Amino acid sequence: RYVRQLQRLQLLFSPTGADARGARQFVEEVAQDFARQHPDVVLYVSPHSGPGPAPVLRAEYLNGTVREELIASKTSEEILQLATKLANQSGLDIIRIRKPFHTDNPSVQGQWHPLTNKPSILTVQGPRLQPQ
Amino acid sequence: RRSEKPNWDYHAEIQAFSHRLQENFALDLLKTAFVNPCYVESEEARRRQLGLDKDAVALQLQDNTGLAERGLRFARAYLAQCFEGAYPQLPAKGIEALVNFLTSQELVSYVAQNLSIQDLALCRDFPAPPDVLQRTFLAVIGALLESSGPERAGIFVRDFFIPQLIGKDLFEIWEVVNPMGLLLEELTKRNVSAPEPRITRQLGVSTVLPVYFVGLYCDKKILAEGPGETLLAAEEEAARVALRKLYGYTENRRPWDYSKPKQGLAAEKAISSN
Repeated sequence: RYVRQLQRLQLLFSPTGADARGARQFVEEVAQDFARQHPDVVLYVSPHSGPGPAPVLRAEYLNGTVREELIASKTSEEILQLATKLANQSGLDIIRIRKPFHTDNPSVQGQWHPLTNKPSILTVQGPRLQPQ
Repeated sequence: RRSEKPNWDYHAEIQAFSHRLQENFALDLLKTAFVNPCYVESEEARRRQLGLDKDAVALQLQDNTGLAERGLRFARAYLAQCFEGAYPQLPAKGIEALVNFLTSQELVSYVAQNLSIQDLALCRDFPAPPDVLQRTFLAVIGALLESSGPERAGIFVRDFFIPQLIGKDLFEIWEVVNPMGLLLEELTKRNVSAPEPRITRQLGVSTVLPVYFVGLYCDKKILAEGPGETLLAAEEEAARVALRKLYGYTENRRPWDYSKPKQGLAAEKAISSN
């Protein structure tokens, strides 16, 4: 069955900073709908007062990876898009995938090895089969 | 520990956990499932150290040993039933080996870690040792059994344990010391004569790395053949290949059937056989 890999989203923003305007709009309007649509993600909203670090959206996944995305000077819709993108990701590292295919059963009839199509020593050929 | 870092709401985390697994849990059963006996002892010791009265020292929490036992019994019975249905030729020892592997500490704690149980489980040490994780996960299964009934619990066990068998070979899980003897027993049960080993192919006999293919023939019909470095190793490998074919656990068997089960009797039998 499908298990969503996002465990929790922490929204850290300041209630007075100018670049956190999108984050504040997000919290006022859209955050409740988002939390209702994704009941398996815990959403924490923590405003830290005063001019502090930049507003950030921190996502924690089931395999322990923590991913932070800056949301300074982003509109509310962009933050919603970011949040859904993080919710649909898994916690694997974002690195270049070497090949886009993978299979657990590389061969169905048996892998070829140098002896596959050679006849076995035991098969006897020729007129020797007829009784003398 | 995650529960001691900022931004932690236990009730919300437990609700999210039950939604993540797409199961309806009775929340109080689930909360008792996460309480381990070592946690209860450490909490009582800490309260006694802080100098509280005797009444306040005794915590009102039940721990999860009862639920864990019930979960373990149900999981073992259900898995044994699944394997008996899927591989009818497999002997009882093989099924027991498979079930033991699936309920072993490493596997269960690996599954529990990837489902974030290590954050929710209340225990004394950090990070939680694997037997604590195993006990907690089995208690979660027990809680699911109590709240939703044996059918849903059976589907849950099937969805999370059986994919751990993908890509694994039978004899990696089940240690067989004498495959030839086992093969002879199986063949006498089916009234087939004893197998005769013959060399089928050989390569590089006089080098450092010879390869011998030994085939097992019953009544001059081929049963199986296997490769090996020496003649003895090749014969043993051929016996193992023959056993895999007989038990139906080859690499090209049909994959496991995960469709919705329609019979309710199977799960009832699992409960009544405990």
